[in-house]
Amino acid sequence: MNLEDDLKRALHRESPAPGFAGRVLQRIEREEAHAHRRPIWWRAVAASVTLTALIGGWAAHSIHEHREGERAKEQLILAMRIAGEKVHYAQQEVREIGSNATKEK
Amino acid sequence: MRKLILNAALTLALTLVVALPASAQQLNLDFPDLEERAEEVVDVTLDASMLRMAAKFLSNTDPEEKAIRDLANGLQGIYVRSYDFGKEGQYDRKLIDRVKSQLGPTWKPIVTVRSRKKENVNIMADMRGEQIVGLVIIAAEPTEFTIVNIHGKIDMDRLAALEGHFGVPNITTEKDHD
Repeated sequence: MNLEDDLKRALHRESPAPGFAGRVLQRIEREEAHAHRRPIWWRAVAASVTLTALIGGWAAHSIHEHREGERAKEQLILAMRIAGEKVHYAQQEVREIGSNATKEK
Repeated sequence: MRKLILNAALTLALTLVVALPASAQQLNLDFPDLEERAEEVVDVTLDASMLRMAAKFLSNTDPEEKAIRDLANGLQGIYVRSYDFGKEGQYDRKLIDRVKSQLGPTWKPIVTVRSRKKENVNIMADMRGEQIVGLVIIAAEPTEFTIVNIHGKIDMDRLAALEGHFGVPNITTEKDHD
């Protein structure tokens, strides 16, 4: 009988202290707010890193492209100069031969 | 189905017939033995995309650069190999024939200058009617060998007019005075 009484006493329904539910809800809200705040901060960092990487990559690409363009320009000028020089020389020689032939006549 | 295959084959054949003669002939300008013997090598390889890129960087106000840009507009490629040897007899004159043998039937010699004292110049053009769509210049001096291969429509007079520009002295004129 004693055991039965002991069990009844131990398992009897007891009302929580006043304001318990409110405190639980407050705590849940606090933790949720805290949990939400952290990902936003991390997202901002991630976005900044990505943006920096993108801008850096674009800048590096622009510099590389500019260098390539300048190099191509120099090569083009050199190629045209060599070609122009040879054609000019040939034209000059042809003109010289032409003028000599006219003088001989 | 048969008709469709026939049409596709005809289109392909027509494309090849039109495209092949129009495409400029790229020559094999690699002479590794010359590179080894030369004291100075100029190697310029500019395909169509590199030419477009180079043209973007040429000045609009500088008359010489503007002239080059106008000339380069109609081109598909420029390839230059120039070998400067310290002494004579460093290359075989048969190289000229080796380059010439690569040229197709549409190529015609337009100027050939033979000189004992000065340089020998062979200019050959790929003629399509009145238009020059390709140019090969072979200049052989005792200590220098130069090949220029230009693909695309080119104006010879405008090309010759470039000589002596860019602050570079008029080399041929100086040689003539010697």
